[in-house]
Amino acid sequence: MNGLSRGKLLLAAPIGVALFVFLVLPYLTIVVMSFRVPSTTAAYAPGFTIANYAKALTDELYIGTLVDTLRIALTITVICLLLGYPVAFHLARTPSRWRGLLYGLVLSPLLVGVVIRSFGWIILLANNGVINQWLVSMDMPRVRLMYNEFGVILALVHIFLPFMVLPLVGAIQGIDPKLEEAARSLGASRRRVFLRVLLPLSLPGIQSGTILVFVLACGAYVTPMLLGAGRVHTTTTSVIQLLEQFLWPFGAALSLVLAVVGLLAVALYVRLSARWMRGLA
Amino acid sequence: MTRLTIAGLEKRFDRTFAVRGIDLEVAEGELVSLLGPSGCGKTTTLRCVAGFEAPSGGRIEFDGSDVTPLPPEKRDIGMVFQNYALFPHLTVKQNLSFGLEMRKVAPAEIDRRVADVLAMVQLTGFEARYPRQLSGGQQQRVALARALVIEPRLLLLDEPLANLDAKLRDEMRFFIRSLQRRVGITAMYVTHDQAEAMVMSDRIVVMFDGLIHQVGSAEDIYDRPTTRAVSSFIGLANFLDGAVAGGADGRWMLHTALGPVACGAGHTPREGDRATAMIRPEAIALEADAASPDCIGGTIEERYFLGNLADYRIRMADGSILQVQGEAHAPFSPGGTVGVGLAQARAWLVRDAAA
Repeated sequence: MNGLSRGKLLLAAPIGVALFVFLVLPYLTIVVMSFRVPSTTAAYAPGFTIANYAKALTDELYIGTLVDTLRIALTITVICLLLGYPVAFHLARTPSRWRGLLYGLVLSPLLVGVVIRSFGWIILLANNGVINQWLVSMDMPRVRLMYNEFGVILALVHIFLPFMVLPLVGAIQGIDPKLEEAARSLGASRRRVFLRVLLPLSLPGIQSGTILVFVLACGAYVTPMLLGAGRVHTTTTSVIQLLEQFLWPFGAALSLVLAVVGLLAVALYVRLSARWMRGLA
Repeated sequence: MTRLTIAGLEKRFDRTFAVRGIDLEVAEGELVSLLGPSGCGKTTTLRCVAGFEAPSGGRIEFDGSDVTPLPPEKRDIGMVFQNYALFPHLTVKQNLSFGLEMRKVAPAEIDRRVADVLAMVQLTGFEARYPRQLSGGQQQRVALARALVIEPRLLLLDEPLANLDAKLRDEMRFFIRSLQRRVGITAMYVTHDQAEAMVMSDRIVVMFDGLIHQVGSAEDIYDRPTTRAVSSFIGLANFLDGAVAGGADGRWMLHTALGPVACGAGHTPREGDRATAMIRPEAIALEADAASPDCIGGTIEERYFLGNLADYRIRMADGSILQVQGEAHAPFSPGGTVGVGLAQARAWLVRDAAA
């Protein structure tokens, strides 16, 4: 018996088929497309080439955009972690009867579509938006809050924060509060308790939260498009531009480069962070 | 060695009192148990001593110096928790080094002291294990070692044996007690298990509803309980109500519905007062002949064989039930009549509330 009886295979079949049709097949299409020859009159010209990859990996414009994308995603991840940890800690440990409500508040950004939330930020941050109108009414100069990285990062932090908080809450709830007391009885200050006990034991939650947010931030499209408004370039916005210009093969190659680089970054991170979680199993 | 003083300790949570005025002195090297049912305030008291709870009133002193405002990490205490609270991400060695590192002890010194304490709890060779790779009893010993290796002023134990199975619990009682004696550390031990408290402690503090009902040796609280609550929490007890009919030299005569009973007392009752006599089941002698001298007749309702002795429930003439423990193979069986030696039984006057 290898544990894969006919019944189990049958049960797994629906999800297997769905994954194949909606995930594997589209990916294969993208992979094939990325090796096609670009054409200005059709989706692609006959034949195959690696010129798309050569361009994606050598053209300084696209390399720069890729680096920007990773840098923005990393910034968002770090900010989400710093903002999310205290929230998650409070949520995990509060004895308050408002806990359900607090949970709801943390999750509430997920209830509104990302387009709506981006428009909300535009209303606040635009050059004649709520904040700038208030500044003008106070006789202060306008501040450029969007059409730049600041606005994109701000809005994306807001959008992705729940994805950081939820895994953290799970991890922190799994930490016995008695461990904090044990550490303090052994002479650890609150800061030491955090660094030596809470932080190491939260690592699994930190790992999943940061990976989720990083991957989501790498692939974010709507918000950089709306709040960057053509002035903030990420690899995703470049890909969409290429698609609009019917340069599908190059767009496909560029998006695969982003996917592979993102994946490598995550794999490297998992390897590095696993070393810090040896004792946790 | 440290002397612990608790003076007028009070702890309120919202509007309810968990501890309502506790005074207690624990001498150097003494092990004192806080014994009582859950919710009696024993754990809250211990947590106030540890510094995890801020008292609503009163003072905690170590060797006469007030530690009440100090956070736990400044109190120099060793604490053992019910669920051990070992750090799951650290090895046994790292768990034991934790407190020493916080005290900035030199690495070579840490190695030496960790090795010593591991030998003391008989866990040499387990340095590299993680807590989840240890059995419950081994985790318990690591927790004990972790609390002792820092050579604290005070050892606090919060129901440390509650999660162990019965046999291991018995072994650990003696282990902890002998270790505490050997190290010579002042210790406070919280438990709801009377047998544990009796085996381990120099003195037992019996608490109910946030108040101390009695402080004394195991013999004191078993033979000479101050209140009804103490006597029924520690072992089995019969209670007979009656009126005090005089007495002298700490012996008092109580007129009960079952006749006169001679009682000892820790306080001085007034003649004519209503009072309650506490009689342990094993302090009552049973005679085959109901007409024996100093006996009154009763009918055996139930008999339970316990191996070394037998439990009887005896219906008396006034309809009340007495619990009596007698010799296991005595020829008494349910339905039969026996003579109950109440007048000669060792009895003690108890009060309804703490003085």
